[in-house]
Amino acid sequence: MNLLATPSRLDAEAPHQSRRSRTDVAITAIVVLAVLAAIVMGLSTHRFVTLANAKAILTSASLVGIAALGLTLITIGGSAVSLAVSQTVAVAGMVFLSAQSLGLLPAFVIAVVCGTVITGLQGAVVGYAAANPVVLTIAASFAITGVATGVSGGTTVSPTGTGYDVLNATPGGVALSVYVLIVMALVVEWVLRRTGFGRSLYLIGENRPAARAAGLPVGRTTVVAWLAAGALFAVTAAFTAAFNTSANVNLGGTLTFDAIAAVLAGGTPISGGRGSALRTLAGAVLIAAVSDILLLRGYSTGVQIMVKGLIVLFVVVIVHLRAKGRQA
Amino acid sequence: MSQALRRPETLLPLTALGITVIAFALIPTYTDSDISAFDVYNTFQIFARLGPIALALGLTMIAGEFDLSVVGTYALGGMLTVQAGQENFAYGLLAAVGAGAVIGLVQGCVIAGLKLPSMPVTLATYIALLGLTSALSGGLTKTYSNVSVTLWVDQTVLTYFSPRSLITLGLFGIAAVVLTYTRWGRELRAIGGDRRASRVAGVRVGRLVVGTFVASGVLSALGGSLLSFSLGSANPDPGVQPLIVATAAALLGGVSLAGGRGNTLGLLGGILAVALLAEIVTVAALPLYVTQLFYAGLLGTIVVIDAPDLHSALIRQRARLRFESARPSRAGTPPHRQI
Repeated sequence: MNLLATPSRLDAEAPHQSRRSRTDVAITAIVVLAVLAAIVMGLSTHRFVTLANAKAILTSASLVGIAALGLTLITIGGSAVSLAVSQTVAVAGMVFLSAQSLGLLPAFVIAVVCGTVITGLQGAVVGYAAANPVVLTIAASFAITGVATGVSGGTTVSPTGTGYDVLNATPGGVALSVYVLIVMALVVEWVLRRTGFGRSLYLIGENRPAARAAGLPVGRTTVVAWLAAGALFAVTAAFTAAFNTSANVNLGGTLTFDAIAAVLAGGTPISGGRGSALRTLAGAVLIAAVSDILLLRGYSTGVQIMVKGLIVLFVVVIVHLRAKGRQA
Repeated sequence: MSQALRRPETLLPLTALGITVIAFALIPTYTDSDISAFDVYNTFQIFARLGPIALALGLTMIAGEFDLSVVGTYALGGMLTVQAGQENFAYGLLAAVGAGAVIGLVQGCVIAGLKLPSMPVTLATYIALLGLTSALSGGLTKTYSNVSVTLWVDQTVLTYFSPRSLITLGLFGIAAVVLTYTRWGRELRAIGGDRRASRVAGVRVGRLVVGTFVASGVLSALGGSLLSFSLGSANPDPGVQPLIVATAAALLGGVSLAGGRGNTLGLLGGILAVALLAEIVTVAALPLYVTQLFYAGLLGTIVVIDAPDLHSALIRQRARLRFESARPSRAGTPPHRQI
């Protein structure tokens, strides 16, 4: 599994005390410089520091952020990532809109159940059989799209009612999805820090054999994490579908990679056992803010995507170096 | 012989290829059309489109890494080919291959030098490369005006082939020779199987990882170039479909995601099986989602069979059964053969 796991400590030559502290200083300096550069860039960008712009950043971070919170649970539990986020969101969104005739709340519940079941099933295979999550979720993404295309005949689903419009509300001038993102981030953070489930999840992500040897319910905990992730994917789906007022199998767009980027940019390592929901929230906001600066400065979408990739690369390298420095 | 046949890197591609060849041969029985030479030609065309990135991904998987960036390099390679090669195709090809080599070199150095897991690094590169490609083209599909090149790469050669599919087959030939007759092949599997042990045994792990990523970058860029020549255009965002199909092909080729297992011939078999499948779907005019479901079933089966905990549970079960049936005479021998 060395494509996911961080190489063990024995693998790395133990750095000398002085060299380590020097690396630490260098890393801190680089991070501080990067943050300063970003702040200066932001402040010097016309119209960046306005309330309206802050709202725009939060709104654009919210949909990706909610899905990324779900992904955070999967990543912390040591199951790396799900590559089926977009597809799950698409299907849950289609279900949400086509169930609108039942009313907003029943439709929402059905969508959440749908997302939860789809993702939970994958979690069961990962949790109990230790199947490779990357390949499994690739397979699942095919299966989900295939079934959804077969059932819908490849058409776009239009809403059967107008209840969904409530999700597009902007109480206090801020999109509803922003409130949901913040509340969800706090809830997930609390669950991770304060409950037995959260603590088991960290341990399983850190060292699965040890967690099993300690008698932790590895399979069950993993399944619960994936179930919760599925529910969060479905919440994103409901908001995305409501925003687009229609849904087809492409509703998810590039959400899979956006969500992974938010998780990684927040500093949660892909190997599991560390990370937090608040970090993911920060990662989502960071990416949204930088994209916003580039947009305001007139850069193309391509440049925005490229910088997003570079941010992820930067954070991944920094987090890894710091973790290694502490371990040694 | 039977022992060698039972190994997954032989068994999987052989089975996959066998099933798809039979299904291909039986096309007349379930459709109205006969098999023509063109169907075979077209299968090799699909193979040529998929082959380079599947080979690139397969090589990194054998080494125990996973290069998600192949599709990014593929897109960039295709775009550079079109933009730099309008006058002379060689410039375009050179730009693409050079970019692929540089991307592979940088990624390989970061991964091997800092001992980072490959997945997040290559994912970040993938995103960055897609952005770069889109920035280069302004997000638009660019057409390649050198029609003679387009006609040349896809002309029929020896009834069943085109220069493009022959080049792709040639790439597999080179990879097969290098991996079979030099020690790189063994070392590649060794670092995929147990990196620490191979380092102790004297394998220069870092260099090999960098080399693998350079090979992966060059192959992916070349794949993008060939596709651009063939289509006469370059698309800034090929989507994730090529990555997913390439992964499926590599896994069918008997490469293990855990690393350390696989060979070029197996990869070739796996990719040909996927290409045949795509051709069968085209000829039989099956809806696209049937293929998706088929891939899902296929990958799902492979990944569940490969799952370590399921394995150990089965082995435990088998050991228990053997123990019970063999009881009073001898205690159950611990199972030693792990596949």
